[in-house]
Amino acid sequence: MVSRILMFVLLAVVLATAALGGWVAPHDPTAPLGAPWRGAGPEHPLGTDALGRDVWSRVLAGGAGLISVSVLAALTASFVGVAGGLAAGWAGGALDRAATALTDLLLAVPSLLLALVVAVALPGHTAVVVATVCGGAPLTLRVVRDAVRSISGAGYVEAARCRGESGAAILVREVLPAMKGVVTADLGLRLVVALQIASALNVLGFGPSPPEPDWALMLRENMVGVAMNPWSVAAPAAALGLTTVLLALSVQLAADRDPVAPRWRRRNVHVGL
Amino acid sequence: MSGYEVTGLHVVDRSGRTIVGPVDLDAPTGSVVAVMGASGGGKTSAVLGALDALPAGLRRVGGHVRWEGSPVPPGRAARRWRRDRAGLLGQDPASDLHPLRTVTGLVLEGLPGGPRRRRVEAAHRILGRLGLDAAEVAHRRPHELSGGQAQRVALARAIVGDPALLVLDEPTSGLDPATLERVIEVLADRRGAAGRATIVITHDRAFAERVADTVVVLGEVPPGPPLPADAAPGGEGAAVLELRSLAVDAPGGGPALLGGVDLAVSPGEFVAVVGPSGSGKSTLLRAVAGLHPPRAGTVTVAGGEAPVAVADRGRDLLRAVQFVGQDPMGALHPSHRVGAVLARPARLLLGASREEARDRAVALIAEVGLPADVIDRPPGGLSGGQRQRVAIARALAADPDVLLADEVTSALDARSARTVLDLLDALRAERGLAVLLVTHDRAVAARADRVLTVDPERRTLLPAPAVSGAR
Repeated sequence: MVSRILMFVLLAVVLATAALGGWVAPHDPTAPLGAPWRGAGPEHPLGTDALGRDVWSRVLAGGAGLISVSVLAALTASFVGVAGGLAAGWAGGALDRAATALTDLLLAVPSLLLALVVAVALPGHTAVVVATVCGGAPLTLRVVRDAVRSISGAGYVEAARCRGESGAAILVREVLPAMKGVVTADLGLRLVVALQIASALNVLGFGPSPPEPDWALMLRENMVGVAMNPWSVAAPAAALGLTTVLLALSVQLAADRDPVAPRWRRRNVHVGL
Repeated sequence: MSGYEVTGLHVVDRSGRTIVGPVDLDAPTGSVVAVMGASGGGKTSAVLGALDALPAGLRRVGGHVRWEGSPVPPGRAARRWRRDRAGLLGQDPASDLHPLRTVTGLVLEGLPGGPRRRRVEAAHRILGRLGLDAAEVAHRRPHELSGGQAQRVALARAIVGDPALLVLDEPTSGLDPATLERVIEVLADRRGAAGRATIVITHDRAFAERVADTVVVLGEVPPGPPLPADAAPGGEGAAVLELRSLAVDAPGGGPALLGGVDLAVSPGEFVAVVGPSGSGKSTLLRAVAGLHPPRAGTVTVAGGEAPVAVADRGRDLLRAVQFVGQDPMGALHPSHRVGAVLARPARLLLGASREEARDRAVALIAEVGLPADVIDRPPGGLSGGQRQRVAIARALAADPDVLLADEVTSALDARSARTVLDLLDALRAERGLAVLLVTHDRAVAARADRVLTVDPERRTLLPAPAVSGAR
């Protein structure tokens, strides 16, 4: 219980920092302020980078874009996967087979490769969403479809059929709430993978262009000066890592509160690109 | 003092409310102890608390457990002790069986170590003692078993290792009388055996008196079995439910179970269907409810032929035929409150307003004998018997003409069962509700106007010779 509260406080702090950091940053994150590669000091708590910009301000301002695009991508992937899984699991038959075949096809394409190909043609944000949906929605669909199939034999679903509820009403009122644990746990995994894809694209330079502050971009820019100011690389890396872990853990904890489908959680841990 | 001793056991739920306790329980070696009490009275929680096998949400806050004089401390030690020494049959055995294992594999879980062939032989011998044909069921998986068969497989798993402590939670629900005799024989063998103690949790007083040396009652004393009431007026007028040459196969494309069932049920009539477990009683009811496609035949409700699939039935037909299933645990949605569960059928099928539906739900809760405060609770905190009564109330909420009830009293103690059966009698008399009920309980069948037996050889329903009274 205590660990759960602590977790949510930490998550709130990290998210608030990422979202509002740009406003509270002590300096303009894009303005050159002093000598390049200065170490940590009273004026610049995490030193400066190659152009003499304040690393602390850039870390504060550099998470919003990354997190928002990842959350958007994860929610889209989860929504597509849940909708597809509900339809496939409930309808069965030809639709089920078609959906399963399509997921197999999509799973055969590495998401990062797909992201790179899409990023050449479209803006980086779109590439993240497309890659997360194509790589993640099939996994969600599989999990949800199996859960629907097992839930649809339950007594409460039969009772709903016996009182003439429509298929859509049964899915929304009975089936979906019964597997919210599965869906939430799965959303956590989608979130982690989306963050991975987004940061990978940004490191490779498909994301925001240089003067913009961005954790992943900072990793790439500051690598040349890591010997002179280690914080310039360590700080954005730590921010990225901490955010990912906290997001994943808090979603997992939220799912753990749900006693409905405990068996699902451990069996369906698909993390990967 | 030797055997299994529990003193001062106290179990609370998440909010600190006492579920049961403090309870003392002594099961000396060589004896069989029956734990009885009203449904929802904490029988199961007390015993599971002693074994440290409580479900999530319940906590043991006090009490000591000793085996043969040496203490079994709570926590890891108790769990290890349970694994090594205890055989446990849960209340809901069907869901305790791993869905992918065969019957042989499941029974072997209770018999670790030793050469496999000998273990398999032992497993099959136990299955045979419980009246299951090992050659026939050995390779089946749980979804290919009927409720009563699954119950016996779980029972075989609990007893095959001849555990020092055997705990059976409601072992008789869902068993036909012949099988019940076999269970009683198995328990009789343990009586007087050195170093073997047995605890049976049951609400069946007749069973408890036959098998147990001592009866421990938790909470108030339940009265005797439901007595046959005066038969409600029935058997007159045109049939409200008529089956013509209905044939059903086992679920999942299994073998043919029943062929050519002809049955007419009049308004107000109470027809009980009995028969060996696995003979297709439940499947027949599900076919009538439109939840299982029959192989052949028709179902006629109030003179009109009913579509075979529930999805094709109109609102009035859905209202007229209501079904209560066998498994109280899966019957209620874990996140829907009882009040919402009971209001929904009235809203949908009777077109009642929100307030009318709510009032109806409150009335139904009282009629099935549940405390009024369950209406705002999710089903998580309800016992099996309480859930069963909510499921019955949900079916009655639609104001049906025909109630199809599958083993609905098996999870209930005698008093609750009588409340439910009395309610059905009242509805039969007032509104002409027809009841088609599958049961293994002779006392319940004795209250019916007609009793039909499934004849597995001829695969049909035959009128049973008048069932003599309870006991």
